[in-house]
Amino acid sequence: MKRLRSIEDFESLQSRIMTDHDAAVPTIVIPAGTCCQASGANDLIRVAKRELLDKKLTDTVRLRITGCQGFCQMEPSVLVEPRGTFYPKVGMKTMARIVEYVARDEVLADELFMSPDTGEQIERQEDIPFFRNQVRTILSRNEKIDPLFIYDYINNQGYSTLAKVFKMADPDWVINEVKVAGLRGRGGAGFPTGLKWEFLANQANGHGKFLVCNADEGDPGAYMDRSVLEGNPHGVIEGMIIGAYATGATGGVIYVRNEYPLAIKHLIIALRQAREVGLLGENILGTGFSFDINLVKGAGAFVCGEETALIRSIEGKTGEPRQRPPFPVQKGIEGKPTAINNVETWANIPIIIEKGAHEFAKIGTENNSGTKIFSLVGKAKYTGLVEVPMGTTIKRIVYEIGGGPVGDARIKAVQTGGPSGGCIPADLFDIPVDYDSLSKAGSIMGSGGMIVMDDNTCMVDIAKYFMNFLKDESCGKCFTCRKGTQRMYEILDDISQGHGTLEQLQLLEELAQVVKDTTMCGLGQTASNPVLSTLRYFREEYLAHIQDQRCPSGVCRALITYSINEKCKGCQLCLDACQQDAISGKKKELHFIDQSKCIKCGACKSVCKLDAIDVV
Amino acid sequence: MKEENFLSIIGKHQAHLGGLISILEDIQTEYSYLPEQALRLVAQETGFSLVDIYGVATFYKLFSLKPRGKHLISVCSGTACHVRASSGVVEEFEQRLQINAGETTPDGEITLVTVNCLGACALGPIVVVDGYYFSNVNRQMVGEIIDNARAGIDRVDVDTDERIFPIEVSCPHCNRSLIDKNFYIDGYPSIRVTVSFGRRHGWVRLSCLYGSYSVEQEYEVPIDTIVDFFCPHCHAELSGVSDCTSCGAPMISAFIPGGGVLHICSRRGCKAHMLDLHGASL
Repeated sequence: MKRLRSIEDFESLQSRIMTDHDAAVPTIVIPAGTCCQASGANDLIRVAKRELLDKKLTDTVRLRITGCQGFCQMEPSVLVEPRGTFYPKVGMKTMARIVEYVARDEVLADELFMSPDTGEQIERQEDIPFFRNQVRTILSRNEKIDPLFIYDYINNQGYSTLAKVFKMADPDWVINEVKVAGLRGRGGAGFPTGLKWEFLANQANGHGKFLVCNADEGDPGAYMDRSVLEGNPHGVIEGMIIGAYATGATGGVIYVRNEYPLAIKHLIIALRQAREVGLLGENILGTGFSFDINLVKGAGAFVCGEETALIRSIEGKTGEPRQRPPFPVQKGIEGKPTAINNVETWANIPIIIEKGAHEFAKIGTENNSGTKIFSLVGKAKYTGLVEVPMGTTIKRIVYEIGGGPVGDARIKAVQTGGPSGGCIPADLFDIPVDYDSLSKAGSIMGSGGMIVMDDNTCMVDIAKYFMNFLKDESCGKCFTCRKGTQRMYEILDDISQGHGTLEQLQLLEELAQVVKDTTMCGLGQTASNPVLSTLRYFREEYLAHIQDQRCPSGVCRALITYSINEKCKGCQLCLDACQQDAISGKKKELHFIDQSKCIKCGACKSVCKLDAIDVV
Repeated sequence: MKEENFLSIIGKHQAHLGGLISILEDIQTEYSYLPEQALRLVAQETGFSLVDIYGVATFYKLFSLKPRGKHLISVCSGTACHVRASSGVVEEFEQRLQINAGETTPDGEITLVTVNCLGACALGPIVVVDGYYFSNVNRQMVGEIIDNARAGIDRVDVDTDERIFPIEVSCPHCNRSLIDKNFYIDGYPSIRVTVSFGRRHGWVRLSCLYGSYSVEQEYEVPIDTIVDFFCPHCHAELSGVSDCTSCGAPMISAFIPGGGVLHICSRRGCKAHMLDLHGASL
């Protein structure tokens, strides 16, 4: 790749790439993010390549391997441009047929997405309700770009906003744009990004300043950052270079969790290519401005998402948070001023510069501008990544985009904000999703995890799950967090075993308040949220466990029994599935579970096709 | 375990940000755990006290102070996987392998761990075996996953696997075909190149099946050696433009007649490769 020495160099390269690119050439897009690969996208890629080479179609049909499009439930999927045809759940045989049809510019009608409500087939991606009801400002870039090729990004207007910023040559203008746009940190706390940048810009630049991209997406159940990094790493890099130019930062760090190998791989490639073409490093595009980005891999600690812990981890130490002030923007990495923003925040920067601050601020609601990506997962019909304007109601996200519950189940809550967040019950689904409304409801926005729970999800079990997570992830520095999470877990465990008492419930509430009030960092201060919010909205479930020794959702093992009802036709599937030999019965006769042997693992229920297993 | 191996890992990182964690990560990747000998060397070389190093090594989940098995099975226990019953999947693995999560089978074959979130939440429960992802896992799938892990997850059957297909390659300098019709591998004509490493210079023949790693060589190239590749016709070096993202060695490139470039890693034993159908036009 040729190194670009001036803004003009860049612009002429960009216009050459864009002129050479013929958008009318039929293109097969195969998304291959981690989740796509988990459902078989790699096999499709191989088959597509085999067919294209075999049928000598490499000149007439293009193949593009991209990051995730977000409709994970329908993976592996294939998108065909320029028609926008969407094929869900594609198998290897179907892939070969798609190649054949694309070459003839035809649509393979029997493999299209079928609406389960109306039974009609929908050809175009943008007409499918899951996509139609979103505003995909950031995510839509994923399907346009092969993340392994910087030229592909440049072809899609990539780095144009950086060129625009360089031409304006006014760092204050950039900060002002970000402020006017009203962008708030997408990592969870919602601090205004422009203000943070202004603080950093105002710090003396004696020994250097740092910008950090926090990609330590530790919240279990949230994966939008992974998707953005895998699918559009240059978008984040461009955002960071613009941020560095605005704030005078001299060094950048992207801190990625080690559990995201594909994101790390794509970032390594993207950073190298950006350096090679002269968009990172010394004297970028001949402007005299220098900035480079290091990749630092996390090593598996949830608390490192907290900014002071993250800084210590970047320095190679144990990730224990420290007291603030001084804030990182005063004293961060190696004592130098440091501004930390989340992946999604960085990905929004080029969009703000491209659209203009006022246009950007029109999306969403007042004080909550722009879009937000949520990972809609758990017990919804359609799961995946959804991007909506801030202020969209939970109902719209869960029902109109997510398609509502799976089967006959009834959705009872969504959990937002991960271990620091809380559960919001179904009767509050009309509240808009923004930083302020969610915290008023006892939860938080967090990084955007949205886990749908139905009547087969036990809220005591969920609180216990999060407390188990937090007691393991507490760094141990504040003893109220270290011991408090441990003790809360023990009480929740007692309750789930049927040993809980009403006094314990009172103690649990008291402890939750103490941990909240007496710990130093965000992890401890929010650790009680899962308990407090479930107690607030689902107290009757706690009482059922304590007073009636009953788990209404049929989850807590000590309180449930499995039995076989008269729907059983004696197919013996459950008998074969039971590892404990607890099930007996002759073929075509009613089966029976020996309670003394049953460990309540649920294996029988998961194989039964006749709904003949009761859990009470 | 050689001292110089550790020293070269330590030397690579010292100056960089996050040096200590990066050093430990590399040792962990290479040996699948942190041997005591290595930690003592790190202390000696970097000046960090052994206590600090032990602190870091035990704080982060990635690190293990005990040797791990040949195969690593990670079961995701993130929230989305949990509400879809991943704990039952863990239990099934524990029962079948007769170990608890965090332990290794007595034969040293399989280590079972649970991880907080692997970020494929819409498809939970997720299980990862040696880097290969399984989605929507239930208890019934566990037995087969264990069998797969023991057999080697990236094993392919070249006769029946429809993902495997022959490709033609030519030298990017002289355009002559690298296919050798007189030497068959996997039942197809092989790709012939000449290689040099150390003071050795000889031929290597690779399977032309995309997805097969079968290879025949004049001299046995030791695992991990980076090899220079040359065209057998014009003797020009088949150098590429990029480095391998898995191991950092240079990638070599050859043309695909009809369009495209094949990139393969020049390190013996590294399986990284890429078939870029439109690469030639860039």
